[in-house]
Amino acid sequence: MAKRILITDDALFMRVTLKKILTENGYEVVGEAENGLMAVEMYKSLKPDLVTMDITMPEMNGLDALRAIRSHDPEAKVIMCTAMGQKNMVVEAIQAGAKDFIVKPFQPDRVVEALTKFAA
Amino acid sequence: MKTEYVNPFISAATSVIEMVISEPPQRGSMTARPQVFTSQQINVVYGVTGPVQGQVIFGMSVQTATNIASRMVGNPIFSFDALAASAIAELGNMISGNAMTSLSNAGFDSDITPPTIIRGSNVKISTMDIPALVIGFTLGSLGEFELTVSVRERPARAA
Repeated sequence: MAKRILITDDALFMRVTLKKILTENGYEVVGEAENGLMAVEMYKSLKPDLVTMDITMPEMNGLDALRAIRSHDPEAKVIMCTAMGQKNMVVEAIQAGAKDFIVKPFQPDRVVEALTKFAA
Repeated sequence: MKTEYVNPFISAATSVIEMVISEPPQRGSMTARPQVFTSQQINVVYGVTGPVQGQVIFGMSVQTATNIASRMVGNPIFSFDALAASAIAELGNMISGNAMTSLSNAGFDSDITPPTIIRGSNVKISTMDIPALVIGFTLGSLGEFELTVSVRERPARAA
């Protein structure tokens, strides 16, 4: 069965791009969240195998959403996918339980590699 | 304005655009303005907060924006719709994010606010009165684009 992925990004363009990459590589996109708050709600109702998470978003940022999801489900697999690549940001995300940290702009292969590794 | 704050935005713009649309931007003229002001049709505006603060604008014509968005989406776009606007905002987001990483490596941990797209020319945006540097770029046959950087070091708080 195809692995079920929840995409989180406030940019429509990025959701469309990620969905295209994931679908072409055999993943099922079960939800698209436009901010952290939506991601937390959708995680609870959809129970995806993996979440991609942007950081700079309105309503609730990706780091707070990551923490909320991991406190709801300590086994949750979340991959950060953001333009913010500062060291402190990466450290904060990994400490909060993110499995990987992809800095935009990315090549499709980089996303597929992370998913193959963590959504297995 | 200190060049160490502006250079990360220039180098980020060059490297990110080249990677995203496979077109190396050619840097053109640089001009100074006393305040943030744009005469472009499509403007992506970001706030920069933290030890280095201010505003950054990516401005271009509707035609250039449509050309860039077509290249990013991978299909021709004929009118500047929601997907095109989102692609342009995301391009700006990636440039700002990469510049923030460079600033962070230089010891300034600033952050960016989510982007706002402002359509319409002759817009004065800031109330902060931080001088701005405007750097022009040419993107081959896609058109031209302007980067306005208006940042300063956060003033020390009065005791």
